[in-house]
Amino acid sequence: MRAATAAVETWVEEPLARFIDDARVRLVLLLESSGRVLAQHGFTRSVDVMSACALAAAIHASAAEIGRQLDGEPFTSLHHHGQARQIFLAELPTARGSHILLTVFDDATSIGLVRLYFTELSKRLAAPAPALAAATPAPSFVDFESDLNRNLAKLFGRI
Amino acid sequence: MRTPYAELLTVLARHRGVLGSFVVSERDGIAVDSNVQIGVQAEAVAALAASLHRKARLACGAAGGGKVTFLRLDAERGGICAAGRDDLVLVTISESRANIGLLRVEMMRAAKALT
Repeated sequence: MRAATAAVETWVEEPLARFIDDARVRLVLLLESSGRVLAQHGFTRSVDVMSACALAAAIHASAAEIGRQLDGEPFTSLHHHGQARQIFLAELPTARGSHILLTVFDDATSIGLVRLYFTELSKRLAAPAPALAAATPAPSFVDFESDLNRNLAKLFGRI
Repeated sequence: MRTPYAELLTVLARHRGVLGSFVVSERDGIAVDSNVQIGVQAEAVAALAASLHRKARLACGAAGGGKVTFLRLDAERGGICAAGRDDLVLVTISESRANIGLLRVEMMRAAKALT
């Protein structure tokens, strides 16, 4: 049985579903750099999404800062290879600003394919993104938790 | 950076109708070295060809055919050939006018040198 894909905002649904089909990845999280989740695929528990989002945002921020210090520019993608599973974490620029994509895959695919389809996903997401004026404002610290909970509830069908 | 595969890729690139050749890691789908003409999407071809070779290897294994020695894919305006050894795959992209027989001999010889 194929795992379900769920998105808080509809403009990411189709490009993301296509990425998942093409790249044959197991888990996907699309989030804002603040850690607020926009879409997920393959997760069954909201608590896992919440942890993964927090970790992904932190790893991305750390990698970007290391890049700035070493190279003058932030590092934008990162790949870790485990025994059976691998992760690819990368910045995904869209018309609504930079997002972060975290994906987990196994030997059904390869990092080369994941990078290839990630590039295609970037192009697709750049096109349908709603204009900045219509974009949801970045969450304040006060709103962050309620936004996060609302998004998690949407993704896991509780709204 | 010059790799041990640069020489064999140069030899393949000299064949008539060859647009590019790569040594690709089958597991990662990333080119270890390549020699391609301008306009060839090297990263995309490397990743997809490595995946193709892997699937052919698995299919042959499942069908009891043993190891894949040479893979040839013909298309409207050319084709892709692949010959693998362990995790490395030698891939060439060619136009229709390429002499595939000669290319095959050269690739099989070169694949033996892949380590």
